[in-house]
Amino acid sequence: MNKAMRNPLMYALFLIPTFIGIVLFFIYPVINAAFYSFTDWNGIAKTYNFNGFANYTKSMSQNAFWVSVRNNGFFILFSVFIQVPLIILFSLLIANVKKLKGLYKTAVFMPSVMSTAVIGILWGFIYEPDIGLFNNVLGLFGIDKVYWLSDRNWAMISILITNAWQWTGFYIVMVLAAIISIPKELDEAAMIDGATGFQRAMRITMPLIMPIVSVVIMLSIAGAMKAADIIIVMTKGGPAGSTEVMATYMLKHSITSFKYGYGNSIAVLIFIFTLIITALYQVLVVRRTERIEY
Amino acid sequence: MRKSLIMMLSLIFVAGALVAGCGKSNNSAEPVNTGTTNGENASQSSKVEPFELKMRHIEIGEPNKNRLARLEAVKQKTEEQVPGLTIKLDGVDSEVNRKDKLRSEMAAGNPPDIFDAFGSPDIGVYAKEGLVLDIGPILDELNLKERFINLDPWTYDGKIYGLPKGGSIEGYFYNKEYFAAKGLEVPKTLAELEALAEKVKADGKVPFAQGSKDAWVPLMTTNNLWSYYAGADFTAGFKTGESKWNDPKMVEAVSKHQEWVKKGYFKKGELGIDYNSQRNQLLTDEAVMMYDGSWASSVFNDAVDADGKSKFGFFVMPPLNEGDGFSSMVDSNNGYGFSAKVADDPQKLEAVKAFIKTFFSDEVQLQSLKEDGLLPSMILSEGDLQANAANDLIKEIILRMNELEYKWPAFDALVQAEVNTELSSGIHRVIEGVQDPQAMLDALQKVQEEANAAGE
Amino acid sequence: MTKKLKGSLAHILLLIYLLVILYPFLFVVFSSVKTDNLAIAQNPFGFPKEFQWTNYVEAWVNAKISTYFLNSLYIAVIAAVATIIMASMASFALTRMRFTKLSPMLYQIIILGILIPGNALLLPIYNLMRSTNLLDTHWALLIPYAANSIPFSVVILTAFMKSLPSEIEEAAVVDGLRSPGIFARVVMPLTVPALVTVFIVNFLGNWNEFLLANYFLSEDSLKTLPVGMVGFRDAFSINYAQMSAGIVYSVVPVMVIYAILQEKIIEGLTAGGVKG
Repeated sequence: MNKAMRNPLMYALFLIPTFIGIVLFFIYPVINAAFYSFTDWNGIAKTYNFNGFANYTKSMSQNAFWVSVRNNGFFILFSVFIQVPLIILFSLLIANVKKLKGLYKTAVFMPSVMSTAVIGILWGFIYEPDIGLFNNVLGLFGIDKVYWLSDRNWAMISILITNAWQWTGFYIVMVLAAIISIPKELDEAAMIDGATGFQRAMRITMPLIMPIVSVVIMLSIAGAMKAADIIIVMTKGGPAGSTEVMATYMLKHSITSFKYGYGNSIAVLIFIFTLIITALYQVLVVRRTERIEY
Repeated sequence: MRKSLIMMLSLIFVAGALVAGCGKSNNSAEPVNTGTTNGENASQSSKVEPFELKMRHIEIGEPNKNRLARLEAVKQKTEEQVPGLTIKLDGVDSEVNRKDKLRSEMAAGNPPDIFDAFGSPDIGVYAKEGLVLDIGPILDELNLKERFINLDPWTYDGKIYGLPKGGSIEGYFYNKEYFAAKGLEVPKTLAELEALAEKVKADGKVPFAQGSKDAWVPLMTTNNLWSYYAGADFTAGFKTGESKWNDPKMVEAVSKHQEWVKKGYFKKGELGIDYNSQRNQLLTDEAVMMYDGSWASSVFNDAVDADGKSKFGFFVMPPLNEGDGFSSMVDSNNGYGFSAKVADDPQKLEAVKAFIKTFFSDEVQLQSLKEDGLLPSMILSEGDLQANAANDLIKEIILRMNELEYKWPAFDALVQAEVNTELSSGIHRVIEGVQDPQAMLDALQKVQEEANAAGE
Repeated sequence: MTKKLKGSLAHILLLIYLLVILYPFLFVVFSSVKTDNLAIAQNPFGFPKEFQWTNYVEAWVNAKISTYFLNSLYIAVIAAVATIIMASMASFALTRMRFTKLSPMLYQIIILGILIPGNALLLPIYNLMRSTNLLDTHWALLIPYAANSIPFSVVILTAFMKSLPSEIEEAAVVDGLRSPGIFARVVMPLTVPALVTVFIVNFLGNWNEFLLANYFLSEDSLKTLPVGMVGFRDAFSINYAQMSAGIVYSVVPVMVIYAILQEKIIEGLTAGGVKG
């Protein structure tokens, strides 16, 4: 019927800018990183040697590397099992209150507009052992000082809390938007049938917002794998590398230690791990509910 | 809402106007040196192509304001000597510049024309790839080669690739008033130092101020300890394989550091404290002593009274046995290097020459000593030195430096970058108490051997 | 009765959450007008006793907030707009044009990008920027920022465009419009809510970005707010009060903008989110 929508030239023109971006900033860098990951290049010299899988076997044998992998794991677990339930809870609460709704909606979003760098500085004050907020509050209950950022038992959890503080509100707004757009008739019909507020939330609202929750989980996982900024500004990976994640571990080695080839092998591993985790997620969870894909 | 927006905007506007005002007054306050005329250039035609020299420096923030002022004066004088020249200053935090910024710029092959750098091992890595200017000929021309106390860190393959800004030694800054009030004396042996720490601790104060978030800070102490236990020359042997990190003497030294941590000689939670904050511990009387480089002395300028008497003094870490001779790091590892590309441009080369002539002069060296207690990197007369030591603290630092029997470069100038990376996280583990010194040093020795085998 | 109780329970929970979010802000605002570190240390989280407004003047001079703020603002906006233009064109072609075999394949390639962690590719992108001589110019951030958010934007926009009824462009074709016309005059206006969502998400991503900005720019006058603030912290870590004033400068303008646009953002997210 309409030739206009079948014009291959137009089709190409519409897609070319995006694909230039994808090729230059996604495909080329992946190939480039993969290439140098098989070399001993220091990032500066004009020459380098191929050394097979040496970089990969080296990283896999480093305890510090696995610590960083584990920390990425903590990031994911914390996001999915603690942050996401909180996001859903608060979204439902905000959607159902009548007073102060505007205030809540505005306030929850605020931390997301602050830059991570500023948040790192701000939370540095809160975690300060002597005069910081947390220890002051704990002191009221007679609890001893906690060295939040310098004690390895607390440093990682401190970072996770800060990270959650920054992003929870952002996701709440996304989920809230989905809840608000649910047709009122559905809810009203259920109310006439005598369903309680809790029942309505579980039976009607929850299934309808599952697609957006899926998106939130995917974004959380991707975000967890990328996390670096918050660690750099808060602990620099310390104490003793206990808060290092893969991305910061990579930067430390590729640039600070002049091990570009080695750093690239970590970059490739990050990519592979992310692929595996998201594939697992797709297979285990999304397929059972609703695919968000094309 | 609109109202508050207008408020905001007007606030910004007012603040902006204030800034502009301040900027102006600053400029007019700066001495304009019109006296210097340059005969060479006067004969040249007045038509000169204007050009720009990029300069990376690390003199940022409140503690470095004198250094920045001196640098700006040098910039101005250099610009007057070279027609058409504008030097563009770019200030970056020292650690960021050294470990991230300059390295990535070097990787990209385009460092700034003049850049702040560390001599060893950094400059050698860059020089090997031909990225840094060989300044030997310039030094010959200006007759400067013999004027420096030590250019070893800046020499690679027999050529000189940079010049140190100043020198420094390391040791303990201490609260003189507190010492006097409690009848404490400067220790002559390590055991006396420990007894001192014990007394301070019993008094409810922190013996040693320390902010160990960046590992090089506690490592200054460790480095001095092992130079006593294992010997001043020991560190140089790691790269050649003569010395081993897990040598019993090294284990003893690192264990001593760990023992101090366990005994509570440092503030708890030191791993979360920034380097800059450790000074606050001393300034607020929370702590009594602080191991730091002599470069930190300018921080204590406020504690100097009108007669030049300082609340703080300085002593070097004492030896194991009395009379064994004091040992300290003596450093001239931080300074300026120049991009190899400068050689392609006669104008820029001329400008670099003028910069070196102006910056590396008696005048600037003495001024640095006077204003910031920065020890000279060039050979100066003893009379000049004493005359320019502005307060007791600086006089004391010079005195201690002259008493030194063993002088050695900091470990990071003598080992490969990845060994430094490993030791940095190692010392954190030792301080945390999650790894014992023997295990840490065993692991470190493995990294050292790998690096040696890679032939870097 | 029980209903009321439940209602107030919800408010109690929400108010606790609000307190957690807002208290740190208050702390910064209080600290920013305190005299010095000592005043903060003695009374860290309470109301200031004296007001030291000069902190604001000094922070403005020392931190160069105006420069960093403007750099961040224009880079974040331009990159987000560029992303939207590219992503909406691609989404239009993928969903509305009749290339049913090719489109799903191309779509899969694009969304693979979501899984590629941008930070991990810092080094190759750095080399790309250096070989094109773009380092130390704002292009070194604008181009990667614009490209990096394409995959996410395409996911949201295709989801939205797919849901538009097909009758609309049939009518447009009858009116004699070609595909660019249909895109610009018919589909784009209908997509505005989703575009707002995508814009906000991308803007925030760019606004907060630290790593690339830290490595790719070294000239002070080019720096963005996150990098500038960290530099400010490193340089003035001794003066907490002044640092707090710096933080206030960096946060307040965005807050004002957000408060004004708040309704639009929620609307946009509502429209875009559900379809996602």
